[in-house]
Amino acid sequence: MPEVNADLPDDVLLIDDELWEELLALTDGAAAECFQCGVCTATCPWGLVRKKPLSVRTLMRQAQLGLRAGDNSLWLCTTCAQCQAYCPRGVDIAEVFRGLRTIAWKHQQVQAGLPSLLWSLHWNDNPWTQPPSQRAQWAQDLDLPIFNSQMHDILLYVGCTSSYDRRGQRIATALVQLLDAAQVKYGFLGDEEPCCGEAALSVGHRPFFEEIAGQTARIFDEHRVSKLVTISPHCYDVFKNHYPPTGIGFQPLHYTQFIAQLINEGRLKFEKALDIKVTFQDPCYLGRINGQFDAPRQVLKAIPGVELREMIGHREDGLCCGGGGGRMWLETPVGERFSDLRVEQALQTGADDLVTSCPFCVSCLEDSLKISNAESLEVLDLAEIAAQALIN
Amino acid sequence: MVSSLYGVDQETRSIWVYLEGSAEHLAGVSLELIAKGREMCDRLSWKLVGLSLGHQVAGLIEEGFAHGLDQIWFGDDPLLEHFTIEAYTYAAHQAIMAGTPSVFLLGATPNGRDLAGRLAVRLRTGLNADCTNLEVKPDTKRLVCEVSGFGGGVLAMIEMANHRPQMATVRPGVFSPGEPDFSRVGEVIPLTLDFSRDLIQTRLIKRSIGEEIDLTQAPVLVAGGRGVDGDFEMLTELASLLGGEVGATRPPVDEGHIGRERQIGQTGVVCSPKIAICCGISGAFHFVVGVEKADTVIAINSDPEAPIFEFADYCIVGDVHQILPSLIESLSAEREVSIV
Amino acid sequence: MSELHIVVCVKVVPKPEEIRVDPATHLLERSNVRTEINPPDMNALEMALELKEVHRGRISILSMGPASFEPHLRVALAMGADHIYLLSDQAFAGADTLATTYTLSQGIRKIGSVDLIFCGEESSDGATGQVPPGLAEWLDVGQLTLLTEVSVDRTRNIARGRREISGGYEILEMPLPGVVSVKTASNEPRFMDYDLKSWAFESERLTVWNADDLGADSKLIGLAGSPTVVTELAEAPFRERRREFLVGSQGDVTQELLNIIQRQL
Repeated sequence: MPEVNADLPDDVLLIDDELWEELLALTDGAAAECFQCGVCTATCPWGLVRKKPLSVRTLMRQAQLGLRAGDNSLWLCTTCAQCQAYCPRGVDIAEVFRGLRTIAWKHQQVQAGLPSLLWSLHWNDNPWTQPPSQRAQWAQDLDLPIFNSQMHDILLYVGCTSSYDRRGQRIATALVQLLDAAQVKYGFLGDEEPCCGEAALSVGHRPFFEEIAGQTARIFDEHRVSKLVTISPHCYDVFKNHYPPTGIGFQPLHYTQFIAQLINEGRLKFEKALDIKVTFQDPCYLGRINGQFDAPRQVLKAIPGVELREMIGHREDGLCCGGGGGRMWLETPVGERFSDLRVEQALQTGADDLVTSCPFCVSCLEDSLKISNAESLEVLDLAEIAAQALIN
Repeated sequence: MVSSLYGVDQETRSIWVYLEGSAEHLAGVSLELIAKGREMCDRLSWKLVGLSLGHQVAGLIEEGFAHGLDQIWFGDDPLLEHFTIEAYTYAAHQAIMAGTPSVFLLGATPNGRDLAGRLAVRLRTGLNADCTNLEVKPDTKRLVCEVSGFGGGVLAMIEMANHRPQMATVRPGVFSPGEPDFSRVGEVIPLTLDFSRDLIQTRLIKRSIGEEIDLTQAPVLVAGGRGVDGDFEMLTELASLLGGEVGATRPPVDEGHIGRERQIGQTGVVCSPKIAICCGISGAFHFVVGVEKADTVIAINSDPEAPIFEFADYCIVGDVHQILPSLIESLSAEREVSIV
Repeated sequence: MSELHIVVCVKVVPKPEEIRVDPATHLLERSNVRTEINPPDMNALEMALELKEVHRGRISILSMGPASFEPHLRVALAMGADHIYLLSDQAFAGADTLATTYTLSQGIRKIGSVDLIFCGEESSDGATGQVPPGLAEWLDVGQLTLLTEVSVDRTRNIARGRREISGGYEILEMPLPGVVSVKTASNEPRFMDYDLKSWAFESERLTVWNADDLGADSKLIGLAGSPTVVTELAEAPFRERRREFLVGSQGDVTQELLNIIQRQL
């Protein structure tokens, strides 16, 4: 912080050039392009759930002036990138938020609950405070092979949420059924599976994330992983866009892309007709941020008897579930949750199932569904729907 | 080898119990230790002695004898009116050196633990904390303490060969208090304590005992989820019949049926009660983390596929609105019988 | 006024879920067990760091254990502590709380010029909670235990704390130097400062002392200094839930439930 001149009146704001320089360096100059049009604030989903929208424009301005936000508004952002989709200057707004968060960590000025999240990553190698030695317990009856590059074509990267969260484990089990049905040669890393580190990146702790990513990349290198399939779009995104290159280089895929490939290659067929109406929640980290909208829809189309009804706002305009940007580990009051609104939108389609392909979306949407008391809708992951359509 | 200030050869074959309480009543944990001590002394034909430190608390003497003490060593001094670690350690040390008991038991209360920890070092003897069971072996006459460690994952039996007194603290609720017999009599041994004000360095500025809820200390937790449809009165009734507390998952808290301070789970309170009764709770991960340390988990849910059943010891597929009232009725009926 | 010097006692413990007892030897299997800083000690360190920010202060980390503790103790430096003192000697092994508190107290005497000694309320392995009062007794100083808040008045040379007791709290004061134990989970420990981290892991700020360095009485350390002896050790039955479904009429189920509850209480 700049030296304070005691002679100045109280309402004078002091510009911190150092903060601006630091932010420029951290984000490759992302905030420099902003010309304060305010479209970001207008498109931000917080404006849909609260009387007072999140003024993204103000935070961008404060950043340009080298001011730090005094309140917790910096931590509201779910990095859904809805604002980026409309920004006329193509500012990487999520990156600016992460950069501001990185600076906040340096000053130890972060929202309560976030240090504990990072400690969990440090002591337990997962964000859920669960014991590292129990990471593969979900699979103990499944006889999953440990990945061996000589025998296996892909590494199944389960991720922390699907390993430890009961609901997420069901997604993993369903995916295993699909892979087995297609006779894919795959293995996983069992207890030794390292965390992808996305939780650290999403809350802006860049140095810690880089440490985790370096370690995980080394482990993939040691196991000679060349192709991996993730369950969570967050793991997928971080492997694809934020990881250092490994010795042999690895190609990450989200499972929806891989399943779509298997279907196209004729290796996976769905024999059972399901006779249901579904709607699809595009996970931000699969859809808007990584441009992957088609693969999940191809999979749904390949299942007989499934009628897809899109929600108002889908694909590039899909509403975030509220779980990204570290918010899975922060409390959002009822009535202010994006997923509450999304469930309403799903109900409006008259669908039987709200289908998605992200463990965070499943969790947030199910919580909101419970509160809505709607009896007619069920939240399911795409892997679960697809597994239902397998014979046997 | 370190030596305690007195050894087996100097010990008096007695079990001493540290008495805590108010001016009128002995604390629950003291009554529990007296009952356990009485049981052990009866088997060994040893004397059971209570150590009372305070000011004008003679009202406790009758209660102490009624519950089974043979003797009460009674330290009464204005400087003992409020617990201070300096005065109480001094007085307890004087008494123990005069009485040289074989065993000295204290309740694992905040003050009990502080006193025990300090006194054991002053006496250069051993101390076992939070024992879940105690036994004096008839052959060796040594106290064997059962303690758990590593968050409950390991059970250990610990004893001391030569060091006396053999000290142990026990948490409230581990043993049961007996029934008093007011026809019992005993002997009061007054303690002469000679110490000055200068000994006391700790100053108590304020003490506030109020209605603060501490879910983490509740022996029974009755938790409600979406399935109780906001009927927390029913849960409160059950909890109070069982001497426990009410908790909740996130949905009912969100909907305003119950306060946020009662939310159990990852973003709420983590408890380790003897019994957790989960009513109408589906068993989401972030809730389960809050009760996974309970000794026994009972789950009631109308959905046979509810994930909570994987975390429960006893599972009931049914309607909480039918099962709980039925349980409450039976418990109330029993209570009436025992009062009569 | 000189710096406020706080010694924070830190124990490195096995992660509780990783502990195994060898069924043949009845000894703890210590190899390959993941370890961590005792979580309550993190709360103690956070409280000390907060005091360091308010007063001009320095924090010394004190620990008794083998060299393998070092990487974890350096985490404390990365959080903002200034120096590590590790008491390491084969002769310290096998210590119960009497010997441990004696050894730590010798370390504190050797460190010198100490205003406050902070400890976590208890350790996650032994969980006796006996180290803070034991330490205070060996050092012949005051103790404030189970504190959720603490402040220091340097002019009066006292520490004031808010102590949690059953159903309420107390506000107490004691003269310095004294021992403070910090209530578990009473604060959220700050994460490591990554600007400090490489310094913390490379710096010389580590002093290792053995029994001779401490001038310790050999009768009072390690096994020799430990009156208590573990005669039996077993893994507590693994808490795999029973998953027993109670079936029958409502009356039957209620009765069975009643029996179960009463058995437990």
